[in-house]
Amino acid sequence: MVADAAIEVRDLRKTYRTPFRRKRVEALRGVTFRVEVGHIFGFVGPNGAGKTTTIRTLMGLIRPSGGSARILGDDIPSRRARSRLGFLPESPYFYDYLTIGELLDFAGRLFNLPAPLRKKRAEELIERVGLGRARTQSLKKFSKGMLQRAGLAQALMNDPELVVLDEPMSGLDPIGRKEVRDLILELRERGKTVFFSTHILSDVEAVADQVAIVARGQLQAQGTPAELVGRVLRGVDVLVRLADDVATDELTAGASRVRRVGGELSLTLAADVDVDAWLARAHAAGAKVVSVSPRHDTLEDLFLRETAAADASVAATEERT
Amino acid sequence: MTDALGRIWAIALNTFREAARIRVLYGLVVLVLGANLMAMVLGEMSVREEARVAQDIGVAATSLFGSLTAIFLGVFLLYTEIQRRTIHAIVSKPIERWEFVVGKYLGMAMVPTALVGMFALAMVVTLTWRGAPLTPAIAKALILAWFEVLTVAAIAIFFSSFSSPFLSGIFALAMWVIGRLTPDIEAATQTAAPAIKWTAKIALEIVPDLHLFAVSGSQVDGAQVTVHDAFVSWSYVGLASAHAAGWIAGLLAVACVLFRRRDFV
Repeated sequence: MVADAAIEVRDLRKTYRTPFRRKRVEALRGVTFRVEVGHIFGFVGPNGAGKTTTIRTLMGLIRPSGGSARILGDDIPSRRARSRLGFLPESPYFYDYLTIGELLDFAGRLFNLPAPLRKKRAEELIERVGLGRARTQSLKKFSKGMLQRAGLAQALMNDPELVVLDEPMSGLDPIGRKEVRDLILELRERGKTVFFSTHILSDVEAVADQVAIVARGQLQAQGTPAELVGRVLRGVDVLVRLADDVATDELTAGASRVRRVGGELSLTLAADVDVDAWLARAHAAGAKVVSVSPRHDTLEDLFLRETAAADASVAATEERT
Repeated sequence: MTDALGRIWAIALNTFREAARIRVLYGLVVLVLGANLMAMVLGEMSVREEARVAQDIGVAATSLFGSLTAIFLGVFLLYTEIQRRTIHAIVSKPIERWEFVVGKYLGMAMVPTALVGMFALAMVVTLTWRGAPLTPAIAKALILAWFEVLTVAAIAIFFSSFSSPFLSGIFALAMWVIGRLTPDIEAATQTAAPAIKWTAKIALEIVPDLHLFAVSGSQVDGAQVTVHDAFVSWSYVGLASAHAAGWIAGLLAVACVLFRRRDFV
């Protein structure tokens, strides 16, 4: 059966009770999103936003308090769906007495892969994640970054249709992060769906087709990176070249980020300023336009705004109750 | 079903490897040697009772150390999977939680089984050295001790499926002691107040009768049995094994249900 969505989450809720005071903690407050087949989906949020709770619920580690979710067409928890996906847990910890080869063989056994295939896949993946030189070491001697790579390898043992990665870049150096980004892109090229969580926005911007921002257990925004950051024009950045003796008061009035270095003037015009009229005035003053570029929200702007809004909303609700 | 068995076997094998690396267990090997050494020393001190002492100490030590090992492993191995979150990468794979619990039990049970085997071997060597005959009674006593250990392992896994190692250890140890003292508790509460008598009766109903597995020196069907002379029949061993299998299956079934409901945060 071909599923139309790799992951479909509707109004997913999870409420915990604290151990002694039995206080209710709402980790997920009705999360809804959809991950299309063949896409890279970045699940972004600050620490404690509900990213890991969502992922653990999807993986069958946590039972939801409400709502529903389907993975590859099956309602969770589904053994059939789990046989078709690969999962890298957050800060993975594996049996430290195993070598990487033994870990992958163990993972392969849980997928009921035949021995020759387990061996072949393990060899390929060990090389793919760059652990070839560490194949004789026990995992106990692995650094955090190496464990992360080992975790990625075990997540790919069954050649999954869907790969779920919880903070895959965590603990990796810049080279390691780039390698993981490349691996994610390679998986998409091979037709796989990748769902990954992170709080490193540059990683999401670099690879994700779709992004969802979650904060305080609720989804705050979802769309393509271009849709999310390109919705609102925040201003226009202009760079012009002027003669040294030209007065700039008229040109800089009402502008922000004004900077004049030698013969170059850079500034940001407000979004509602008539740019054509401003450029005409600049021409009249003898300026030569070097560049004009619209300033949209960055993902970071959006992330900060949405998380602040979620904090304010929850604080207001808590105050009312 | 073959697929499920393959996954259970993978978990069991890995659990055995994990348990075999626990250094405390190597201390138990020393205890095996120590118990046999003690049997030899005490045998020397006795008058023509060397073989009898070796048999008594050997069977008692098998039961004691085997059960303690089962409790220790049972309460820790499942808990550490959750605490260290190694379980996250496992139950997210196409394995049912009951398969995980059963695999964990089987892998864990392999260790006290190996220990019972070592005790048995040490006993055979000691008895052969003493020139004492290797009777079927010894084999029956060791088989009963083995089933006791397997039952105790299931008790430990049962408590570990919903409780911390500390509490699981205390509960399992308490069940082992109560189970071992079943006839004594029954006898002691015969003349007690009705409330105490009924409480004891209910308690004994929900605790496996582990005394069934350590009957040497007590009465069975009105006859005195001893590992040195007239011991229980093979049919008794079969029934006691079935009793153990029933308890193991029941305890694991409840453990699986409880484990299925757990959140791994």
